[in-house]
Amino acid sequence: MKEFDIISTRANRIDTPDKATGRAVFVDDISRPGMLYGALLQSPHAHAKILSIDTSKAEKLKGVKAVITSKDAGSIKYGVSPARYDETVFAIDKVRYVGDEIAAVAAESLDIALAAVDLIKVEYEILPAVLTIEEAMKDGAPLLHEGSPKNLCAEVHQEFGNVEEGLKNSDIIITTKMKNKRQDGAFIEMQGCIAEFDNLGVLTLTSSTQVPHYVQRTVAMVLGMDIGKVRVIKPYVGAGFGIKASANPMELACCILARKTKKPVKMNYTRDQVFMLARARHQFSHTITTGAKKDGTLMAIKHECWLDGGAYTSFGIATVYYTGSLLGGPYKLDNMSYDGYRVYNNKPACGAQRGHGAVIARAAFEQQLDMIAEKIGMDPLELRIKNMMETGDTTCNDLNMSSFGMSECIEAVRKGSGWDQKKGKMPKGKGIGMACGFFVSGAGYPIYRSDTWHGTVIVKLTEDGGTALVYTASAEIGQGSDTAFAMIAAETLGIPLENVRLASGDTDMGVDLGAYSSRQTLMTGHATKDAAEHAKRQVLEVLAEQLKAPVENMDIRNGFVEFKGAAPDFSELRTRYIKEHRGWIDNPTSEKLSFKEASRIAFLERGSIVGTGKYKPHNLGGKFKGAAVGTSPAYGCSAQVAEVTVDMETGQVTIDKITDAHDCGKAINLTSVEGQMQGSVSMGIGEAMHEEVIFDKQGRVLNHDLAEYKIVTSMDMPKVEAIVVESDEPNGPYGAKEVGEGAIMPTIPAILNAVYDAAGVRLNELPLTPERVYNAIQEYKEKNKIK
Amino acid sequence: MLLPKFEFHEPGSIKEALELKKKWGSTARFLAGGTDLLVHLKKKIITTDHIISLQRIESLARITAHPDFVEIGACATMAAISETPVIQAKFSALKSGVDNIGTHLIRNRATLGGNVCNASPAGDSLPALLIYKALVLLESLDGKREVPIEEFFKGPGKTDMKADEILTGFRLPNPPVHSGAHYIQLGKRKSSEINVVNVASFLEFDPKTKKIIDARIALGSVAATPIRSLKAEALLKGKIAEETSFYEAGEKARFEDCKPIDDFRGSAAYRRAMVGVLTKRTLTTAFKLAGR
Ligand SMILES: Cc1cc2nc3c(=O)[nH]c(=O)nc-3n(C[C@H](O)[C@H](O)[C@H](O)COP(=O)(O)OP(=O)(O)OC[C@H]3O[C@@H](n4cnc5c(N)ncnc54)[C@H](O)[C@@H]3O)c2cc1C
Repeated sequence: MKEFDIISTRANRIDTPDKATGRAVFVDDISRPGMLYGALLQSPHAHAKILSIDTSKAEKLKGVKAVITSKDAGSIKYGVSPARYDETVFAIDKVRYVGDEIAAVAAESLDIALAAVDLIKVEYEILPAVLTIEEAMKDGAPLLHEGSPKNLCAEVHQEFGNVEEGLKNSDIIITTKMKNKRQDGAFIEMQGCIAEFDNLGVLTLTSSTQVPHYVQRTVAMVLGMDIGKVRVIKPYVGAGFGIKASANPMELACCILARKTKKPVKMNYTRDQVFMLARARHQFSHTITTGAKKDGTLMAIKHECWLDGGAYTSFGIATVYYTGSLLGGPYKLDNMSYDGYRVYNNKPACGAQRGHGAVIARAAFEQQLDMIAEKIGMDPLELRIKNMMETGDTTCNDLNMSSFGMSECIEAVRKGSGWDQKKGKMPKGKGIGMACGFFVSGAGYPIYRSDTWHGTVIVKLTEDGGTALVYTASAEIGQGSDTAFAMIAAETLGIPLENVRLASGDTDMGVDLGAYSSRQTLMTGHATKDAAEHAKRQVLEVLAEQLKAPVENMDIRNGFVEFKGAAPDFSELRTRYIKEHRGWIDNPTSEKLSFKEASRIAFLERGSIVGTGKYKPHNLGGKFKGAAVGTSPAYGCSAQVAEVTVDMETGQVTIDKITDAHDCGKAINLTSVEGQMQGSVSMGIGEAMHEEVIFDKQGRVLNHDLAEYKIVTSMDMPKVEAIVVESDEPNGPYGAKEVGEGAIMPTIPAILNAVYDAAGVRLNELPLTPERVYNAIQEYKEKNKIK
Repeated sequence: MLLPKFEFHEPGSIKEALELKKKWGSTARFLAGGTDLLVHLKKKIITTDHIISLQRIESLARITAHPDFVEIGACATMAAISETPVIQAKFSALKSGVDNIGTHLIRNRATLGGNVCNASPAGDSLPALLIYKALVLLESLDGKREVPIEEFFKGPGKTDMKADEILTGFRLPNPPVHSGAHYIQLGKRKSSEINVVNVASFLEFDPKTKKIIDARIALGSVAATPIRSLKAEALLKGKIAEETSFYEAGEKARFEDCKPIDDFRGSAAYRRAMVGVLTKRTLTTAFKLAGR
């Protein structure tokens, strides 16, 4: 493999000094002269007709500058997927969940804005609300949206191969159900934004978002503006996990308030509003039937899933497809069918969250693999190896594994966990379990149908030649993408990392679809590499002209020009550079011609050296309906082993250790890869063990804060041994692919398999609260007449 | 969530604080660590016009060991209590109670007095105070009074304290030799948890006969206030200190002494079952510590 100077190291993150010293600027740190504060009026009812809205008292309150409703916002529908736009900024005729937006106020202070919101009078006619899939699907149930009978938001029916035949030829058939609970992303920074118009009518929205590009498009569409007149800037962002991967109603309301008041307006969600907006992981109810031969060969999967969608589509149409398409791999399997249904109801809308659509299906299926292994007396790890896909394989639904270090991952966790010494040999109450998974490195297609580039990057060399400026519209949200792109730019240009300055997260810098579907490292990475190559080529071309040497014989590495064979005489160039450099004390004395000299000369000859780069995937996927969802230029894969202790008297599960191996292609920054692995495990443990959004009978979230919505604390986090497995991905920049989401795939089933190993109970519902595990143990004891 | 506006007072003595309280009556509230009060104000569960901070009154934060007892000032923080040698040596169940409150950040601010005044059935320090027979020390402009802790709690958030009183501290008699105590809390996650069940037990035994001389068991999160498990305690007295006795006490506590409810944190049936398990386990450990 190629030797690298910068990538594949543990370079310090470029945002660390800012974050460590508190200098990193987040939306909440920003204020503008004359800025107003906005607040939203949100529905207290889960389902109600709006009979009238009276804003007169609110408007009269001193300090209030504007009160807006659907009269100001209009009736343009928006959402995530254009074919499924079903939201308006403010409710027009009715509200569909507790939290549906009705009006907004801008005032001189937040206190005044909130007081004004309380003065808006809305007359409601309460409608019966449906809060579950069952209620929503009942005959005669009230409908949320016209044109969606039975409240069915979307359904998918797919079959690949012949499932019936596959099951007929199976020796073992296992059917189980699996259900999770609605999640919250629990990112640390609640959404916030500032909207402002300049005197030329250009709108700048500064927002805590993962996707400046999609927000820009949505804002332009809803406000009826040219895209070129809307600029979206993303400052530092405290994570998103998928929830911030689309425009939210607050951003839109904020822009409309800014337009109406002609002043900058700032808005923030409180934590309970974050829970009200939701858009995190759905509740999935899976029924999966898997067939296998006596020798462990997997034959067929029959998969049905119901998604509890909430009041709007949001990402749901993609979710319901992903749920089916990302199940079969990483195993060889010819026959797979999927029937997916997403149902509307009067709760906040669910959307995308790390491991989009696929996490719970995997939790069900990977348990079934263990059940099959147990039945045929095979080590579950061997069963997986037996069925493993290999590099170059394509799934029955046309997903191509252009690189696939799956077996390396399995071997790494086998060794790292001491599997062979432990499996089947642990005392009662202690258990070990494993699971595998895979995930996309970026969606193969944009959310709206288009031939657009998925990412464009500009690399500009400063006129003195010393520094490369990288401009990308991609979104650093804490995952470390800025550092990764700076490293890729430095590697490609052949200069030290400290000579790269990077700016990102601004739609004025180009097009980038943003931080979702684990796409940026591969896609923005490609565009960065492309732009850096373009800039470098220009410098070398000038050198070739000046030195009358063939361009193929030159390269730049570690900040110096390298020549194949004997270096030509560059003393004339150096003299010219030094003359330019009068008054400075750092005149070059090195034996080699420096990059700085070369790029200064290039500037003198050609003006600004600007490299541009772009990326979009090649055509991917099959021809069937929904074939696009699940496609990706590359797939990451992973294996995990969980070791647990189950307290047989209380049902408390302690996770003692997770051994995690992930094939991320070439690791651009090893530390960041491990960070993503650790973070994924932590989120997976939270979902497995205690996270759950709970509603009351009126459709209000009961646990709308981080005291009652229980994410993992440092005390719950086990030791995580993160093993980075590197493969060379042909479709990735320098061979890189994803790690951000794939790493969560095996966590939940590995824990569930370990709990079974420890306690003899299979749980088909999350989270594994002590009470749920206790009840399962009691049931098991009764059934097996154990005291 | 914004903090509502209020006037802030910082008296330097108990007397001054009491005078302010008398002046502003029910429109004023005392502030100790603020970890309950500020949350309640932000969530608009309560309102107030005046906040009287107790943080400048040094005497309220003192922890003093006397020959026969220890006095803990109402404003002693959980962190300070945890680090005090006499607490570590003689009141280990209280130490583990305060160590289980929130996070480091919370424990650096939260006070024992605040936890008691907040009177949550799930409060982490309360079962230990019950088994150590703490006396609650109260003071008003009219004088001082002492209330046994088991008479102090009147319901969730309700106590015996009068509107014109300050809680000044607690007096805990030293436990006898050959005694031990232990506390366990159970929640969904391992820290920052609101308990599903929490139990503290105290045990004194005769090393010659192995007979239990005295036992006190306190149950949290299974009634409107933390409660003593009197039937289980009675069952233990005179019995041999051993696993079966502890198990029987647990079953007694589970079926006869607690009145849990179903809520979104846990069902009544599970809470009962855990009262049994945790009672048995705290007694087992208390016995181990008593034999040291
Ligand atoms: C994140 C978080 C986690 C928490 N975790 C736990 C936990 O695990 N276990 C647990 O039990 N609790 C927990 N709590 C609750 C809280 O921290 C405790 O109840 C704490 O002991 C309260 O003490 P304080 O000093 O902060 O009280 P404050 O908030 O200052 O006061 C609470 C109440 O008592 C009154 N008061 C306080 N001191 C006096 C006094 N000397 N005289 C008269 N009245 C007084 C106040 O007026 C107020 O009404 C948590 C709170 C938070 C915010």
